[in-house]
Amino acid sequence: MGTKKYSFKRYRKLLLPLILLLAVTEGAAIVCGATFEKLLQGLSKGLSFLLYMFPPDWSAFAEMLQPAVESILIAFLGTVFGAILSIIFALFAASNLSNKYVRSIVRFLIGFERSIPEIVILLLLIAAFGLGAMAGIIALSIGCIGMIGKLLGDTIEEIDVIMMESMESVGANKLQIIAFGVMPQIMPSLISYVLFRFEINIRLSVILGAVGAGGIGYELEYAFGLLEYHRALTAILIIMIMVFGTERLSLMLRNKIKTEGVLK
Amino acid sequence: MIEVKNLTKSLPNGRKLLDGISFTVKKGEFVGILGPSGAGKTLTLRCLNGLLKPDSGEVILEDEKGLKHDLCKINKRELRRVRQRIGVIFQGYHLVKRLSALENVMIGRLGQINTFRSLFYGFTDEEAVEALKALEQVKIANMAEMKTGTLSGGEMQRVAIARAIFQSPALLIADEPISNLDPSNAKIIMKMIKPLSANIPVVGVFHQPEMTAKYCTRIIAIKDGKIFYDGDPKLSNNMLAEIYGEELSQIEQQEHAIPMVAVN
Amino acid sequence: MSQLEIILPSKKYKQRATTFLVSAIVVSVACIYMKFNPFGFFAEFHYVWDLLGDMLWPNYRVLSDNSSLVWSILLTVSMAYLGTLYGSFIGVILAFLAASNTMPYKIVRMIAGAFLSLMRVIPALVFILIFVIAVGPGPFAGMLTMVIATVGTFGKLFTEIIENAESAPGEAIFSVGASRVQVIRFSIIPQILPSLIANVLYGFDVNIRTVIALGIFGGGGIGFEFQMAKSVLHYKDMTAVITIMIVLIFLSEKLSNYLRKKILGEGKLR
Repeated sequence: MGTKKYSFKRYRKLLLPLILLLAVTEGAAIVCGATFEKLLQGLSKGLSFLLYMFPPDWSAFAEMLQPAVESILIAFLGTVFGAILSIIFALFAASNLSNKYVRSIVRFLIGFERSIPEIVILLLLIAAFGLGAMAGIIALSIGCIGMIGKLLGDTIEEIDVIMMESMESVGANKLQIIAFGVMPQIMPSLISYVLFRFEINIRLSVILGAVGAGGIGYELEYAFGLLEYHRALTAILIIMIMVFGTERLSLMLRNKIKTEGVLK
Repeated sequence: MIEVKNLTKSLPNGRKLLDGISFTVKKGEFVGILGPSGAGKTLTLRCLNGLLKPDSGEVILEDEKGLKHDLCKINKRELRRVRQRIGVIFQGYHLVKRLSALENVMIGRLGQINTFRSLFYGFTDEEAVEALKALEQVKIANMAEMKTGTLSGGEMQRVAIARAIFQSPALLIADEPISNLDPSNAKIIMKMIKPLSANIPVVGVFHQPEMTAKYCTRIIAIKDGKIFYDGDPKLSNNMLAEIYGEELSQIEQQEHAIPMVAVN
Repeated sequence: MSQLEIILPSKKYKQRATTFLVSAIVVSVACIYMKFNPFGFFAEFHYVWDLLGDMLWPNYRVLSDNSSLVWSILLTVSMAYLGTLYGSFIGVILAFLAASNTMPYKIVRMIAGAFLSLMRVIPALVFILIFVIAVGPGPFAGMLTMVIATVGTFGKLFTEIIENAESAPGEAIFSVGASRVQVIRFSIIPQILPSLIANVLYGFDVNIRTVIALGIFGGGGIGFEFQMAKSVLHYKDMTAVITIMIVLIFLSEKLSNYLRKKILGEGKLR
């Protein structure tokens, strides 16, 4: 055979980016105080602590059911009101429905909302309205706008203009075009987006709860604060069931929509 | 009767899209508008129902009671009222795909129904029965509850015709209604449109001279924004060549790729 | 006669009205139970107004007065970066162990799959709380949390990407005598690489937001600075930090999109 050595020449193109990558990684590692061994050490420490938290405090299960329900309801209401808000934003964010100035402003607002983490929104709302479910629900509602508003706006824009012109030509006004033309067309997508967001909102509800919105997130934080780690594990288990259950439910409903093409 | 007087429309750079278009169509006439692409046919048609406002000129619709409306000068509310009396059939899939054929027909009267009632209640049973009769006239009453998106192109256009019938219009306009259909469906549609011209003026833009020769009572050819020919639907080969001639020879001259400006 | 073939609108209306009524009742009951008054937001809007008054205008002198703020920006970015890097690395390995077309042993797949599901189902909050206790508060705990969070978010996705790779090229190589590892390297990896890279870059974008949120729980970085400013009621400083957050997120989105276009647009030539 003619070739004696493997030529690495073809990897030359990758050399510069690779060096860059390594340099950045080194820098970041120094900043965080983390090297690869420390990483593994840290992970194992975490694992051992987790094991230390076993067994869960079974008696706490009953107490934590109500906070769990509260978290679910916060996510539910947040999603419901968030969906309503998002639909309104999306209608104004579609180029085939609103004039370009309004559209630009609304799109900017939607993008702006996406840049603010929900936790920050919550903290601001707590500063304004105080601790509790209200701040949590409003925070989640506002949080929906960035995702559902954008996705829905894009979906509406995909509607062929000719359909709307056809309705306009027989005398329908804007509201009727939206009700009879736009809404039926976007229904399956809307429901899909809402279900997906609900999954996200359940997780957020837990995190926001820890910060002050109440529910099981709060219970978790509280347990950690009291150093009652077994109780904390109970809360974690309940959270896992909540998230997993929601995922399954959402998946099932979304599949049902795909096959049946929406219920009503 | 629809009376068009001296329509003009120019681009900002001065190019004239419509240059003094004038014609009158009375009840009993089925007018086909022919011409090369970009000549101004669709623009003219859109002026007939107010989708496009010309720079100057008049479009006067006179209904059976003798009331006249100039579509170029009326305000939005009046325009909506006038549009109730204009039936439209566009090219391609212009109906609401996720609504049933019956619902699409009933959309024809949205202009006549109070907005509030249409949004919060919907349609009445009497309207549904009448809409079904319209569907019977185009022989697809058996598909009344099927979603329009599942229908074939020919079936969908029949629903569009039924919608127009349901409106009891004073004018019917059609923008390339058969361009997307296979020959047998195209024939069916032309056969269904023709009898409607007995009571109201019918104006349609077509790209199929052989169809217009067979079904229209009169042909108007538009070229470079001007009316080139107005008369007998049976066009001689010479005439056809003159109308489309430049376009054909442009295609044959393959040295210069002249972009066709599709003005809509 | 043909009346039987259509559903009368009045019936449809009754259906819709009932659905709407039932939904409205469910939502109202939930609101009452949670003591939430949706109109209260508007009735008590003056609280928001007061807060805005306190928050404006942002005080950017915190950047110069307080050198720890600039450092915290660096921390935030580093945490997100390392977390995404290591997390993706571990995630990909686990994904290979969990994918049906790369791991023939069902037991290994099940364990790996269960592990990935576990990471996914537990919110990042739990991990930060654990790591803060295990290794102390600060950016190290934050970074560890990000690693696990990335595995959780992308583990299942990576598995699906691997499983969606076409088997035909692999089978072709296999039939001429390649080993399983070679099949992976030459058939599967080239197919999944673009998708993988796209997701990792997207992951960086997502992770920046998570890091900021975690900072509030002791993860260090900008989130922590935000919490500090807020707890001492220095609202104008807090607003400045918020604007920095927004800029960071915006920049990371732009960077992520740019890198994605650059790497995938040209195609990684191998």
